[in-house]
Amino acid sequence: MTETTLNMPAMKGRVAFIFDEVNFDVDQIVGVKNIKITDVAELAQVAMQAYDPDFAKSVRPGDLLVGADNFGYGHPHYPPMKAMRHLGVTGVIAESFSPGYWRGEVSMGFPQVSCPGILGFVRRWDEIEVDWAAGVVRNHTQGTEIPFEPLPQADAEMIEAGGLVPFLKRQAAQQREQKDHAHVPGI
Amino acid sequence: MGYTITEKILARAAGLPAVRAGQDIKAKPDFVLAYDFPGYTDVYFKTMKEDFGIERVAEPERFGIFIDHMVPTATAKEEELHINTRSWCAENNVPLFERHGIGHQVAAEVGYATPGAFVVHFDGHVSQLGTFGTLAIGLRRNVMEAFVSDTVSIRVPDTVRVNLRGSLRPGVMARDVFHHLVRRLGPSSCRFQVLELGGPSVAAMSTEGLQTITGLAMFTGALTAIVNPDPVRLDYALPRARKTLEPVSSDPDAHYSAVHDIDLSDLEPIVVAPPTPADTRDLTEFLGLEINAGYLGSCASGRLEDLRAAAKVLEGRRVKTGVSLHIVPTSQELMAAAAREGLVSTLVEAGAFVSSPSCDYCFGRIATMTAGQRAVSTGTLNVRGRMGSPDSEIYLCNAAVVAASAIEGRIADPRPYL
Repeated sequence: MTETTLNMPAMKGRVAFIFDEVNFDVDQIVGVKNIKITDVAELAQVAMQAYDPDFAKSVRPGDLLVGADNFGYGHPHYPPMKAMRHLGVTGVIAESFSPGYWRGEVSMGFPQVSCPGILGFVRRWDEIEVDWAAGVVRNHTQGTEIPFEPLPQADAEMIEAGGLVPFLKRQAAQQREQKDHAHVPGI
Repeated sequence: MGYTITEKILARAAGLPAVRAGQDIKAKPDFVLAYDFPGYTDVYFKTMKEDFGIERVAEPERFGIFIDHMVPTATAKEEELHINTRSWCAENNVPLFERHGIGHQVAAEVGYATPGAFVVHFDGHVSQLGTFGTLAIGLRRNVMEAFVSDTVSIRVPDTVRVNLRGSLRPGVMARDVFHHLVRRLGPSSCRFQVLELGGPSVAAMSTEGLQTITGLAMFTGALTAIVNPDPVRLDYALPRARKTLEPVSSDPDAHYSAVHDIDLSDLEPIVVAPPTPADTRDLTEFLGLEINAGYLGSCASGRLEDLRAAAKVLEGRRVKTGVSLHIVPTSQELMAAAAREGLVSTLVEAGAFVSSPSCDYCFGRIATMTAGQRAVSTGTLNVRGRMGSPDSEIYLCNAAVVAASAIEGRIADPRPYL
């Protein structure tokens, strides 16, 4: 598996929130009326008001979000997850994702893990961990583990690189290197 | 085992003898398309230069840029963006299509819908080029890869095949077919896959109707939609094609992750209730609900068959006082054809406000609604705030329903008017 050879970012923390709504529209995290706020601190203040007004106080750096099927459906924008990252959230594990949302966040270098069965596997505030090499999500609170779906190669590389632009820069450098090698005379 | 049309197109684009669904590849798009919008093209152009040192694109004929949003401009800043787009295209010798209409439609008119081609864009509604056997995928921000490199990194998608049989009854349109698909199969049924349309009814369906269905594919979770090109579609696409390619089709024994059969003959007009593109209901559930606005247009609907349906309903009648009915043909080519047919005069005489093609009605930059207002719309989306206030509502439906509702000032069944 590709992931074992990559230096994927650590995903270990508590389940800060479980979005159990199927086809969840992430814009609801900040509310549509706040979607145009560009100041990330301000966004973080309004985030989760409709779900848990104490969220910002209870979340800790490293915490993770859990979602249901087709997480991110609709017309997802970037501000909700910008707010989440500002609050220290390091990734989302969902039953499955909507492609537009998935692509958008992976291009931001924000880890997304598709893990069928995750909803029944965790409770809020459980300590969990994504073991990239083993391909499983571990629930340290309950002492259980569940496999997740391997990421497409380019998505894994993009998350490892920290987003789209660093990924493309690395790719361009690799291509230059290959070209240089190809032109070394006499070898 | 045979190959799907998607596998065939991607194999050629990847320079490989064959590829299978699930394989990670790097494929060279035949065409890279974009519309200018703040945060998209301006960012690509800047990133290309500053982060990758690219002053000029290597093969300008592979690109195509559309100015279709913020048309006409309302602020100096918007016009500045257009100026920058125009100069980038001129400097790079990249074709620019300004005020030709909504890009996804114009792309087909000007030959980017080359059968057998692989096309990428930021926006997922480019899937409508699939009508012509073109594999057109919206990559969101990742389309930047196509601007800074020859290839894009992509996993070959699986395909869900949907066979259509039977024919539509009067008052039922392609919009209803698509939303019925979402209702029947579910909003995640084609997640990360290609929706391939086939079956005995496809040949009889209009090209415009297929553009509507393929263009909305993302609301089934699909990466794109595609149709094996038939003589009607090839007759349209081949004389316009920008590249000579052998059209390809799925093999009869190709592998599909699922196959569904849909009978069109018992479909009814439907409504997609706000605030989600997944809440598909029968029109009858909403009859009588008061409306303030009607919008007929967008890259999804706004072509001749939509304008004809609306004109049939509106001919000799009047839009109810207090209701704003905006009708926006999808392209200049289609608007001229509608004018020649007399449709524009029928619509205008009925009190519709007919405007030149623009994306702006669809996302509420113009004809904005305020809190508490309600629209019937053939736009692409009904999420909160799409056409103005987050406290306004958009009910998606077909063009005939929009027209009938505009006459009555409430959601109405078009069939008595046809």
